[in-house]
Amino acid sequence: MGLLEELAAKQIERRDFVKFCAAVSAVFGMPKAFAKDIAFAAEAATKKPAVIWLEGQDCAGCSESFLATLNPSLAELLLGTISLRYHETVMAGAGAVAEEARLKTMEEGGYVLVVEGSIPAADDRFCTVGGKSFKEVLTETAKNAAVIIAAGSCATFNGGIPGASPSKGRGVAYFIKDKPIINLPTCPVKPARLVATIMYYLASGKAPAMDKLNRPLAFYGELLHDNCPRRGQFEAGHFLQDWNDPAQRDYCLLLKGCKGPKTYTDCAKVWWNEGANWCIGAGAPCAGCSQPEFYGGFSPLYDKQDIFNGVGKSVNIDTAGKALVGVAAVGAVVHGAGRLVLGNKDKK
Amino acid sequence: MAQKIKIDPVTRIEGHLGVTVEIENGKVKDAWSEGNMFRGLEVLLKGRDPRDASYVTDRVCGVCSGSHNWASALALDDAFGADVPDAGRLVRNLILGAMWLHDHPLHFYHLSALDYIDVMAVAKYKGNDPGLKAVRSKIVKLVQAGDTAPLTPRYAPDEWNVSDPELVTTAVAHYLQCLEIQAKAKRMAALLGGKIPHNASIVVGGTTMYPTMQTLDAYRGILAEVAAFVKNVYVKDVVTFGTGPLLKLATSNVGVSGLNYLSYGGFQNSSSKDDMLLPAGAILGNLGSIEKVDPEAITEHVAYSWYDGDAALQPAQGETAVNRDKDKAYSFIKAPRYQDKAMEVGPLARMLVAQNETLMGLVEKGVKPGAVARHAARALETLTIVDGVTKWLDELTGMVGKGDVKIHDDSKWNVPDSSTGKGLTEAPRGALGHWINIKGGKIENYQLVVPGTWNMSPRDKNNVRGPMEQALIGAPVPDAKNPNNVVRIIRSFDPCISCAVHIIEPKTNEILKFQIG
Repeated sequence: MGLLEELAAKQIERRDFVKFCAAVSAVFGMPKAFAKDIAFAAEAATKKPAVIWLEGQDCAGCSESFLATLNPSLAELLLGTISLRYHETVMAGAGAVAEEARLKTMEEGGYVLVVEGSIPAADDRFCTVGGKSFKEVLTETAKNAAVIIAAGSCATFNGGIPGASPSKGRGVAYFIKDKPIINLPTCPVKPARLVATIMYYLASGKAPAMDKLNRPLAFYGELLHDNCPRRGQFEAGHFLQDWNDPAQRDYCLLLKGCKGPKTYTDCAKVWWNEGANWCIGAGAPCAGCSQPEFYGGFSPLYDKQDIFNGVGKSVNIDTAGKALVGVAAVGAVVHGAGRLVLGNKDKK
Repeated sequence: MAQKIKIDPVTRIEGHLGVTVEIENGKVKDAWSEGNMFRGLEVLLKGRDPRDASYVTDRVCGVCSGSHNWASALALDDAFGADVPDAGRLVRNLILGAMWLHDHPLHFYHLSALDYIDVMAVAKYKGNDPGLKAVRSKIVKLVQAGDTAPLTPRYAPDEWNVSDPELVTTAVAHYLQCLEIQAKAKRMAALLGGKIPHNASIVVGGTTMYPTMQTLDAYRGILAEVAAFVKNVYVKDVVTFGTGPLLKLATSNVGVSGLNYLSYGGFQNSSSKDDMLLPAGAILGNLGSIEKVDPEAITEHVAYSWYDGDAALQPAQGETAVNRDKDKAYSFIKAPRYQDKAMEVGPLARMLVAQNETLMGLVEKGVKPGAVARHAARALETLTIVDGVTKWLDELTGMVGKGDVKIHDDSKWNVPDSSTGKGLTEAPRGALGHWINIKGGKIENYQLVVPGTWNMSPRDKNNVRGPMEQALIGAPVPDAKNPNNVVRIIRSFDPCISCAVHIIEPKTNEILKFQIG
């Protein structure tokens, strides 16, 4: 088989996609049959579901993260699954052509709106697109959307990094109050989470079970710290102090500023870039980018903050782990209770 | 009669930028570049732990992800007095090198190619190649379903659009193939960076990623696939188009800037700071004459920018006080100048500074340093990066094999009470500099001068236009409703800011909105 033939076969075939649907269904804890609903929603519709993707105070990192998806392939997503009507970094059209595509889709209604980047609360003129403030663009585009997905740390909660600047970037929920908003924080958004959430919504017509911060429990239901492969080192009081020491390579990163004990995300179990690695796997402390405290409340990033006092206060092998276990246990209980409450709420 | 055109938004670039052009007799007579977003990252860093800077500034751009992280770490290394060990330097090079291998092909296929090909010609493909037939049937299916987003809507093709069905179908097949290749190159960078975009492992003093043989083997495996694509597909496509259907455009003056070019140099090859894979140098009007870069000659003007004041300050003394009501100002972008000259930065600048043999050969044959040459330079540079990455990977593998791995200067991890530093390097899009002042153990001032600022800058206080503004002048725009050449030129710079361009009819002052494809 020639290279092109191989490529074409890969792009055209649905096998990978169906596999992906099964994975989506599993991650949200749905029965196997749900995978068929997802595949059906994507394939049987005479029209592919429309998606409008807006960028506010962003770095295009969430777009790039979306472009990093390998399973399902991006070609499959773009040509076979969703109809990406407006996306400034990808679409062919620009200027009025782009604007018209957005307006036309808005008229049709019922689209998925993905928002990347924050919205400046200090001055609307800090972010304008096509001569309009981004806030205005967002507000008008939100009107006829079926659902809004706030993708990445900037579009959620306190606006991530721009949230700490004088521009006072804020997440979508600060401006849009009358629509369902699904928050998918992390810097950037995890591509599989985003695609799975879109697929879930299309198949079921509703948001998946979420925590009180509107984050899907499937991805944000557990404390990173509880699942960290370095948790054993933490318990043993082994804290990394020198990155050069091979013996310390897998030590707990708390003293290097790790925010894992306060961060809800599945990063410890589901790594980035199709399982290539993750921050802690690369020896870097978790910056807590899925939390509302990110970034301002979690600075400094590379030093243990006061809010972690009692956690890893001493690096004495005999005592440090013991001091920490208490704190972690409280976290686990709170987390468990939170989940129970949310579970009940979902049933209503 | 002159017309003004403004395109908004210019897509397939990163960020928010507006470009207005004045058209007279079917040609661009004047141009204004307008940056439309302010996030204030420099300001928010004030008073914070200096080590945060490399993490925060990495978020300046998610496309050339890691470049700011790298420049910032270099500035911090300088300020902290850290001496990055060889393995740390190599890990940094391998993360960034992989990101360049993602970035350049992505720019060509996904951000630019649609400017040069008439996608719908795919439907006319009559050949028998099974792969291309499959691509055709895929596109035809989309057409039949009445939904060809995101390939449409678009500008109407003009005389420069390639519409040969065989060429176009091959290009679309490669567009699809490259979707996967660029994702794999990111994966390669993530092996050492933790994740991409926004790697986690580059910090002051070196890196946090202790490389293992297993990781390096995985990296090598993906590199082989990506390198094969670069050599056998990407570079060949650029040559095929550049020397074929686009030759006339390549030898025209379309998109030539002011013939001043700057490279800080990037990718330290050995422990010597002067030994760079991509050499440093400045070209001031004469393509054959390379001068040594003097960082002291860099200033930033704000006469036409939405910031207080009009003094041209050196970055180390730079100020960022927003004034959105300032008279005459039309951009959030400052205007960096070198010896008061507007300098083009990026792959074309670097390959000219390096006097790349292939590129210089093309220039001798009449290819002008314009829009097409920028794509050629980018492809040639990608080959250079493939060679660099391969060499660094071998070196690091040797070190790991011997167990001789030191990745971080931990003796300099603690923040100095008071210091200054600068980090000058190259991002895929051009020369990138970070400057830091530390006082009382906190960041007192932080300034970035980024490639987009050099290339997309507005006028300075001497009314000198920025390089992209200059490059637009003279561009043929026979149909003001289809200013294809304008966006081709804008995109050839690989801008890192969203752009906007409108069309104003001067008689009525009516703003006409135009389709930019």
